[in-house]
Amino acid sequence: MSDTSAAPEARSGSSATHGSAKNRSSFPLPDLDWEPARGYWEGAAAGELRLAFCGSCGAVNWYPKPTCGGCAAAGFEWRAVGGAGTLFSYSVVSHAFLPQYRDLLPMIPALVVLDEVPGVRIVTRLVDADSSALACDAPVEVVFRALRFVGIEGEVVVPLFRLR
Amino acid sequence: MSGTVDWGYAEAYDDVSGEVAIVGVGDADHTAASGRTTKEIAIQAVERALDDAGLTARDVDGIMYAPFMADQLTERDFQAHFGVSQDIWVSHQGGGMRWAATAPYEAAQAIRTGQASVILNSFAVAWATQRGDMVGGPGQAHVDELYKQNLEVPFGWFPQPVYFATIARRHMHEFGTLPEALGAIAVACRAHANKNPTAVMHNKRLTLNDYLSKPFLVEPFRKEDCCLISDGGAAFLMTSVARARDLRRPVVEVAGVGLGTSYTGTHWSQQAAFTSTPQVFAGPVAFRMAGITPSEVDVFTCYDPFTIVTLMQLEDLGFCAKGGGGPFVTSTNLLHDGGGLPIQTHGGLLSHAYVLGIAHVGEVVRQLRGTAAAQVPGAEIGIYGGYTGPQASTLVLRRAR
Repeated sequence: MSDTSAAPEARSGSSATHGSAKNRSSFPLPDLDWEPARGYWEGAAAGELRLAFCGSCGAVNWYPKPTCGGCAAAGFEWRAVGGAGTLFSYSVVSHAFLPQYRDLLPMIPALVVLDEVPGVRIVTRLVDADSSALACDAPVEVVFRALRFVGIEGEVVVPLFRLR
Repeated sequence: MSGTVDWGYAEAYDDVSGEVAIVGVGDADHTAASGRTTKEIAIQAVERALDDAGLTARDVDGIMYAPFMADQLTERDFQAHFGVSQDIWVSHQGGGMRWAATAPYEAAQAIRTGQASVILNSFAVAWATQRGDMVGGPGQAHVDELYKQNLEVPFGWFPQPVYFATIARRHMHEFGTLPEALGAIAVACRAHANKNPTAVMHNKRLTLNDYLSKPFLVEPFRKEDCCLISDGGAAFLMTSVARARDLRRPVVEVAGVGLGTSYTGTHWSQQAAFTSTPQVFAGPVAFRMAGITPSEVDVFTCYDPFTIVTLMQLEDLGFCAKGGGGPFVTSTNLLHDGGGLPIQTHGGLLSHAYVLGIAHVGEVVRQLRGTAAAQVPGAEIGIYGGYTGPQASTLVLRRAR
């Protein structure tokens, strides 16, 4: 639906922001070679939740863009932040919108606000959770788990969250 | 929330009130997977819009479409199909979604400056037919955006039903919105589709009890909260109000247009006002231009991919207070003949057809002519709220005196 495709930015089709999911065999695992988020996955592999902070003004930038949204400077530093936060919102998905999601159902994709960096919402998935026990603003904490998808080779350690 | 956070802006629009009329409207057949091509669908809608207006292809000297959507009807397609060769002004600011509301603004500028006099806007999709070849169906445009592909999709936050179920959940948390409120919207759409022979869901009934007994798809959404996937399209023709008076239909004029934009684009996860739409920016511009308030609107339509998007736009356009959408839709008669605020009187994206809003504009025009399938008695003012996520737009149409 395209509330979407029509996005001004989605219209540019620029290679910096767009790339066919169909042509990447590791999809829907994240692409570890995609520069803007490289530090996120390196942090997860080291057991840290790292975010991009502007090397010039120090502002956190999420999502990590090529230049700072605050001061327009280029150059970021990936810094570890605390993994405690609150559950901003979530949904309980019982339909495989991608065939690769099939073995994960029901799954609970969620947005988490970090206690240390309240301006940021992390897109993640809740694990070890009983969906009937969830509520917005519940306290959560990060855990690092290997993400795998049915039919897709390999795995990537990513930050997921659970109730605390 | 939207009042305290800087999260978007309104476009500075000139006053075009009373300059342009919509003089012809046409819908292609709205169907399940049909094997038709997108362009074939668009041509059918255009032929019907021309017939409706009593105009011929030779009269059209302006064409608007959305080049970033696949296979839309271009000026070359139009000339080739109809065998015409006149000069044609072309705008890429056409199509459905928010553009179905702002195309009349662009048309007004072109007519003012003499670049065109009769302007066609069309939009079509064959997504029911093409669905199996798309990654995530209509989510494909999102999955190919690399921030989403890397930072959202791996976590299952994809596609649109998941985004908007998450927004709905937060709306429920902040404002106490109940499932019955979402259900009231779905049921009103279906009741209108049941009266509309062109609606995909024409023969399928839905009561509130039916709705509440359906299983969750993406909790808190049921399938009934989500738009259809269908093949179809629509078109409309615009000209000056002066010229419209010489044509065959009652004159429906553009009274107001507004456009609002969110800074965070299609990254809903990061939108500061998470449970709002950019209608908070677009609406006041359009209503001021039209010289009306929401209480004067007889027919409400809006881009409605999900029930919550209708609820939020009702709030953001000022039909009720922010957060009051739930009580508003459960205490207001939403049907065409109920004397309250009739919404999505053709069935909307939920129950009429998934043609991304362009058919909503045709529906409002028919309402103001008095020829709609589920007619609102005496309707004089109708609106279409356009939406893409990053942007929202408001179109106020009025029966001309």
